[in-house]
Amino acid sequence: MLEHMHAGFIAAFSLSNLGALTFGTFVGIVVGILPGLGPMVGMVVLLPFSFAFSPDVALSLLLGVFCGGYYGGGIPAVLLRTPGVPSSLVTSFDGYPLTQKGEAQTALSAALLGSFGGGIISVVILIFLAPLLAHVAASFGPPEYFTVAVFGVVLVVMAFRDQLGRGIMLLGLGFWFATVGIDGTTLSQRFCFGTLVMQNGLDIVPVCLGLFGIGQTLILVERGIMKNHDIQLSRSSLDFSKLFKLFKYWKTLIRSGVIGTFVGLLPGTGSILASFLSYDVTKRLSKEKSLFGKGTPEGCIASEAGNNAVPAGAMIPLLTLGIPGDALSAVLLGVFTINGIYPGPLLLVKEPVLITTIYFSMLLINIVAFAMLVIWLKPFAMIVKVPGKLLAVVIMVISLVGIYAVNTRLFDVGVAISMGVLGYILLRTGWPIVNLVMGFVLGEIMENRLRETMSLGDGSLMILFDRPICIFLVIITILIIFVPFMLDVRKSRNKKLSN
Amino acid sequence: MPEKKFSASRVHDLFGSVLGLFALVMLVSSPWQVDSSGPDPFYKGPLIFPLIVFSLILAGALPSMWRLVRPSIQASWYLDGHGRSFKTLIILGLLILYPAGLLFLGLEISTWLFLFIALKLVKQDSLLKLTIIPILVTIILFVLFKFFLDVWFPEPLLIEPVKEWAMELLRK
Repeated sequence: MLEHMHAGFIAAFSLSNLGALTFGTFVGIVVGILPGLGPMVGMVVLLPFSFAFSPDVALSLLLGVFCGGYYGGGIPAVLLRTPGVPSSLVTSFDGYPLTQKGEAQTALSAALLGSFGGGIISVVILIFLAPLLAHVAASFGPPEYFTVAVFGVVLVVMAFRDQLGRGIMLLGLGFWFATVGIDGTTLSQRFCFGTLVMQNGLDIVPVCLGLFGIGQTLILVERGIMKNHDIQLSRSSLDFSKLFKLFKYWKTLIRSGVIGTFVGLLPGTGSILASFLSYDVTKRLSKEKSLFGKGTPEGCIASEAGNNAVPAGAMIPLLTLGIPGDALSAVLLGVFTINGIYPGPLLLVKEPVLITTIYFSMLLINIVAFAMLVIWLKPFAMIVKVPGKLLAVVIMVISLVGIYAVNTRLFDVGVAISMGVLGYILLRTGWPIVNLVMGFVLGEIMENRLRETMSLGDGSLMILFDRPICIFLVIITILIIFVPFMLDVRKSRNKKLSN
Repeated sequence: MPEKKFSASRVHDLFGSVLGLFALVMLVSSPWQVDSSGPDPFYKGPLIFPLIVFSLILAGALPSMWRLVRPSIQASWYLDGHGRSFKTLIILGLLILYPAGLLFLGLEISTWLFLFIALKLVKQDSLLKLTIIPILVTIILFVLFKFFLDVWFPEPLLIEPVKEWAMELLRK
């Protein structure tokens, strides 16, 4: 154990890893600050470059963008009331009123302290919880994996239950994309339409880069980024005297970090719920309830600690079960599988050095992101002035060349452009695009586990009811599907009665 | 209120119905599109999952199809008030031409051309932006992909003959 920790420590502090995570964090903060881009665009643009590195360095690069994005998102939320990432909307509830009172430094200090605390707490939870969950998951067979995957998929679909039909369609579409090409088990051709290039199937890079990178930039070309030249910051770096005063909110910090981690752990819930829930719980428990919404640093700390705890929380099901919690961790799953590493309970046993490297890298990313923003707060905040349309055009061309470079196939560029069109339509219409990505990433896992389960049950799924874990998960899944509907029905009945 | 209108737009139903019809066609044609001639029984074979998937899409699309055929009184084609996407379509056209540009003109010329035209289209057309950004990005991409990552790019079909012709001229 200690020798793995030592090896992981050495790998995390290697020059290449430090360089990758610093660069990734820098890119993450930049795309997080720019409203309309976000960490997903940053991750997919860097995805093709990550293949040039070893898996640990590639993961550090992308994790840097993942975590850095949440750090950056809070800056425009506080200064301009424009969240860089959707979950930072909650930070603006108290951050912007503080800025209006001339206390932008206090608001930013609170947001940064919250982000840093949430990030560190969640990594510590990840370190302790992942082996426990992996230990439980070690006894899993195909039926258990299948039910876990179904559970994850249902959670994702139910997270958008106001768009249930659309969510199901996109999930199905993602599953279908995953089936294209040669079937790994039987070596049969599927949906190749008589062409040779389709036999390799659809790669995760063009699909994700097309959906998010090109799709999002096409939206940016249309709308641009809201520009605001009114950035009120008294000094270029963070004022430490304000930061130290905020340590009195340590309970809020820890509580919100824990809430964020556990919300991140559940597939489909996402960082918006994490920051809302942390904020709401803090507001209920605070002695200064009346200040919430009018400008209290406690609100900023709660919201940012909540959303910044999500990345490490989402890593728990990814590393232990191979089930990504959201679209961002789905991309990370792609990096693992492309490098021939299959996340699951055995990963912690088979690749202990890689896992400890990831832990140390995540801790380092939080330190680097915090330090970068403390030192260069104003220069980073000024990034919001860069014209969005200019950025969009540049990102498009980098994305296309990046996609081509992965396999040197122009076919992949064509796939990315097609996915870009689909991504644009989905983003413009507000359909839950995350379902499509989850379907695509989980498709292969679902199909293989389903077929293995059916083989074990001689063509019947009744085998699921012979296993206690499966029964438990099936019951939970059914509850997740029906309880919200029953609550909705009751709510609308009560409303009718009161009318 | 605008959000409600946005969510209820008939555009959603049209898009959902198109997906549903596509799934129906694929569901029916799946046995011909999937090579299931192997010895495995159906439940282990390559066809079971696609059939489930297309049924799922079709089931998800049914409400959209129903609403498209029988729209409510308040239903409209209004989507989001962001207008029609002519500029996006032109940029998309440029994106489609870009891989062809890689093939015929090579990385450097097609990247420069793409950026120059696209920046002009999105009105980022100050002299400084139009001259510096395309050149800078082209140089960065060239150095990164050709120099550092040593990625192979196709020999530009149109540029090679011109190069040969120029070399010939120089030799003469």
